[in-house]
Amino acid sequence: MSGEFAIAVAAIIGLAVLGLPIGHAMIGGSILYLLVSGLDMAIAAEKLMQGLFRSYILLAIPLFIFAADLMNVGSLSDRLLAFCRALVGRFRGGLGHVNVVASLIFSGMSGSAVADAVGMGRIIINLMTRDGRYTKSYAAAITAASATIGPIIPPSIPIVLYALIANTSIGYLFLGGILPGLLIGLMLIALNAYLARRRGFPVEAPVPARELPGLTLQALPALLMPVILLAGIYGGATTPTEAAALAAAYALLISTVLYRSITPRLLYQTISRSARSTASVGLLIGGALVFNYVVTVENIPNAVRVLLDAWNLDAFSFLLLVNIILLVLGCLLEGTAILLVIVPIFLPAAQAMGIDPVHFGVVVVVNIMIGLSTPPFGLLLFVTANITRAPLGAIIRDLLPFLGMLIVSLLIITYVPDVVLTVPRLFGYQG
Amino acid sequence: MLRRLVKVCEAVSAALLVVMFSAFLLHIAMRYVFNDPLGWTVELQTICWLWLILWASALVLSEDEEIRFDIVYGSVSGRVRRVFRAVFSVVIVALYVVSLPAVYDYVDFMAVDESPYLDVPYNLLFSVYLIFAVASIVRYLWIGGSALMGLPDDRPDSNPAG
Repeated sequence: MSGEFAIAVAAIIGLAVLGLPIGHAMIGGSILYLLVSGLDMAIAAEKLMQGLFRSYILLAIPLFIFAADLMNVGSLSDRLLAFCRALVGRFRGGLGHVNVVASLIFSGMSGSAVADAVGMGRIIINLMTRDGRYTKSYAAAITAASATIGPIIPPSIPIVLYALIANTSIGYLFLGGILPGLLIGLMLIALNAYLARRRGFPVEAPVPARELPGLTLQALPALLMPVILLAGIYGGATTPTEAAALAAAYALLISTVLYRSITPRLLYQTISRSARSTASVGLLIGGALVFNYVVTVENIPNAVRVLLDAWNLDAFSFLLLVNIILLVLGCLLEGTAILLVIVPIFLPAAQAMGIDPVHFGVVVVVNIMIGLSTPPFGLLLFVTANITRAPLGAIIRDLLPFLGMLIVSLLIITYVPDVVLTVPRLFGYQG
Repeated sequence: MLRRLVKVCEAVSAALLVVMFSAFLLHIAMRYVFNDPLGWTVELQTICWLWLILWASALVLSEDEEIRFDIVYGSVSGRVRRVFRAVFSVVIVALYVVSLPAVYDYVDFMAVDESPYLDVPYNLLFSVYLIFAVASIVRYLWIGGSALMGLPDDRPDSNPAG
């Protein structure tokens, strides 16, 4: 590692801490690196544009964003929620269960934890806290915890990014996320059931069973979305990027033609919002592409591998170390930034230790998602605190048991690779 | 006047997304329905993707839509925030300005080649980075300038990590 590299890293951290958007900070720091190293400063622009231009797989991201935005403005979340209430609302602490199940299903559309919390989460929080049936802090805590499931179950923007970095099959990664997502869902439901009994949470009036077919039918078009996406990819019919485009087309079709919930004006606003979200994520990706060039020139991943070799780490302790580092970073930094900058540094070492890249990818994504709801600075904490207006301290207190469950799940996923790899192997993954 | 310009820039970014999406649909229809795959549709998609990112992040995004690390910035007083903004604006403007000539040469040099399907010269295609760099310079001159003149930022600061 050279002095020039240290200057660049210091500049990026310094600019980001002062509040400059992270994408600009990474581009700026990289330009500074080129400047002090006496290299051609146009390389920053070149790497940014060539990287965005040649990474076809990234095009799934704007399409997922567009599909999720369309589903959010359509009356889709209401229908899904009615369906979930009919399904699990009748048990003690039912709305807590609804919260988790809705995250499991809705995650099939948004691929973003924060979108889950803001869209679906807001509605459920309102239901839970109406008439003071649940405390605001409990509603906020379980929403934050269950929103972490979103990007673990496909589709998932973080998994697309990992697939790009690790040059791994996005299809197998998606499949690998399914069981871990369900595992986390079950753990959270179990905890909610236990707490509901202990704290005497209310029982909802059960939705009569005869209404269930009707509600299912109403929610069916929304429920089919993940099926279409996965069938498209695994049926071998379409590439993941094309499947993402089909998902967006499908969302457009049902929200305009079937549900008729979108006016032309609303459609334009939705397109514009998706374009903005795409740009703000895209600039971050672009900045990371430029900075990754600097990291490669400096041969950092190799240095890390040599260092870990010298410590004589086995795969077990290596994964523990990576988990701890990512959890700590996850409570401080934005997930995309961690994924794009930190993961490439550890990936060669993981591969050298014979850790399966699909397994490693799912571990990393679960880890980063847990970071999103970890005190003191997890983004989901602030989103749900903002929705409920509950004091942060109370939310954190209610969140701690859920966080415990999430970390137990993470350890299971880390040390029982079969949880991740069973489903991909069923579909022919050789790993 | 300025507001209308912003609206136009916003419409351009929306149009880029629509073109990208339509190119995808056409691509899929030609490949799977008519069994006659096209190459230029993929190229058009990636051009729209590149332009959308650089265009919108320089000209359309408002400050609260950008992804940033807000923990420190959100927890200091308005006065300190103005100092922060002035400092990062000066640094980023300096870096973009210093690198601009080299970037211009690079974009200009790329005129030697054209994209494989649509025959768009690369200098035209990559010129969006020049738009991005110049617009970012203007944007941060503005942000830094207003900070030095003692104006507060226009971000809603309801939560420190938003």
